[in-house]
Amino acid sequence: MKAYFKVRDLDLYYGEKQALNKVNMDIYRNKVTAFIGPSGCGKSTFIRCLNRMNDLIEGCRVEGEIMANGEDIYSSKTDVVNLRTRVGMVFQKPNPFPMSIYDNIAYGPRCQGLKDKKKLNEIVERSLKQAALWDEVHDRLHESAMALSGGQQQRLCIARAIAMEPEVILMDEPTSALDPIATSKIEELVDELKKDYTIVIVTHSMQQASRISDYTAFFLLGEVIEYDLTSTVFKNPSDKRTEDYITGRFG
Amino acid sequence: MLINAEKVKRNKAIDKAARMFFLAMALLSSSFIVILVLFIFMKGISPFLPNYQYGTVNLIDFLFGMTYRQDQKLYGVGFIVINTLISSFAALLISLPISVLTALFIVKIAPKQLSGLMQAVVELLASIPSIVYGVFAAGVLTDFVKWLASLFNVTTAGGSSLLAVILLLAIMIFPTITSMAITAIGAVDRDLEHASLALGATETQTNFKVVLISAKSGIFAGAILGLGRAFGEATAVSMVAGNKLYGPTFSLFDITKTLTSTMLAGLKETTGLDYDIRFSVGIVLLVVIFGSNWLLNLVKQKVGNM
Ligand SMILES: Nc1ncnc2c1ncn2[C@@H]1O[C@H](COP(=O)(O)OP(=O)(O)OP(=O)(O)O)[C@@H](O)[C@H]1O
Ligand SMILES: [Mg+2]
Repeated sequence: MKAYFKVRDLDLYYGEKQALNKVNMDIYRNKVTAFIGPSGCGKSTFIRCLNRMNDLIEGCRVEGEIMANGEDIYSSKTDVVNLRTRVGMVFQKPNPFPMSIYDNIAYGPRCQGLKDKKKLNEIVERSLKQAALWDEVHDRLHESAMALSGGQQQRLCIARAIAMEPEVILMDEPTSALDPIATSKIEELVDELKKDYTIVIVTHSMQQASRISDYTAFFLLGEVIEYDLTSTVFKNPSDKRTEDYITGRFG
Repeated sequence: MLINAEKVKRNKAIDKAARMFFLAMALLSSSFIVILVLFIFMKGISPFLPNYQYGTVNLIDFLFGMTYRQDQKLYGVGFIVINTLISSFAALLISLPISVLTALFIVKIAPKQLSGLMQAVVELLASIPSIVYGVFAAGVLTDFVKWLASLFNVTTAGGSSLLAVILLLAIMIFPTITSMAITAIGAVDRDLEHASLALGATETQTNFKVVLISAKSGIFAGAILGLGRAFGEATAVSMVAGNKLYGPTFSLFDITKTLTSTMLAGLKETTGLDYDIRFSVGIVLLVVIFGSNWLLNLVKQKVGNM
């Protein structure tokens, strides 16, 4: 089993404040890896390191190493734009662009210079099908994406990420703004997607983590307390703090 | 007890009084507008009524006439409407892209200090009175036009020209549109930018394809406001328009005549029909402004409803 990401001794600072402390982790290909932990423990901070979205935050400084597919992503030679085409991201709040459904999906490929109409049509259809949204929207591709429901918008955002044919999809609490039905649709989708993609998901729901993930990392105050197979973390945690957290005794 | 019945009653009374007060204020200010419009309309319509004391003017001749000269009692504003539309839309055409790019630069690209400075400058420009712009135009823009015309071997009326009006208006509406665009671009959700960047778009692609698209309805509102200012600008325009008696003016180096400059020229020295007809021109100006707004809003809905 090969790791896609190899994270070594990662420290992250927001200005003076240290937000991640000596994180070490291997994230495996075609698996779903969940990050859990109390609010403010650094889950979002860490997931944003994986596609260098932290670069956008002023005063944010990273030390240590992250290898993605054998390439050091924080090396000066790495092209961030290129990295992000391989490591896609879905955000907490659904954030479709104020354009048509079609244009939303075609956005990424078009930014890479793809103009061929037939190719774009194919990509849009394939992405929407993979995101289990095609049946609901195929007859209104050219209407505004803003008119979709929250759950549909989030699947659209997943389709938009898929359209880039990335290797990894990062999801930061993708269902926290959704109702239970939309949530379960996304969960089914994640299960489907891991055949083709490596998935990293941040969640506050223990049930969600245990339902959909293969591996779980428990974060606390910027450190990874425990990282193991999800079944082990939930049934047989080796750290007392993990056990306290998953049994709801704190956090 | 948490809920004090006495107090609730008093709060309700205060609420009611406040509502009455606001209502009174709203009525007062809206009645001003009604009185203003009524006055202008009564004055403006009078020359076309059969019993008008200085001799009735034919409405069709007025609306579609292509000559406007007091000495021959010819009052046709058809060409003036066209002149006004040409100069204002041309100014918008020049100013809009420059304003939008400037706003984009100020909000998204410039380093903090420069951006603060530039924004202050734009606000300052917006607050400069039009007479100052007029003096600048009469002193500088006309020279520029003269020089440009000489390259084409054209002589101008001392630089007064359609081109001078267009450039002047473009400069004058620039701060209006820019500050609206700054607000619109600043209000674009950062999440959208992050989504774009996370898809491997570059900063530039993000700015043009996501930020501007998301801000387009605010930018459009700025364009409408700017166009309104261009239509309504009188003082400065009068200083560089010249006083063309017929038209329309299509040549950039030729003098022109706009609705506002028509209303303003010699206003203090005139009486009778020549005075009253300016109110009629004013009505035409209002119709042009409302018509353009309505048209642009239609366009806005067509392109902006995503
Ligand atoms: N842009 C930022 N600038 C400064 N500090 C930040 C920034 N973003 C996060 N932090 C700090 O870093 C720490 C980790 O935050 P992070 O958002 O990664 O937590 P989280 O685990 O995702 O929490 P939540 O579950 O609430 O989303 C917190 O103490 C937070 O205050
Ligand atoms: Mg978070």
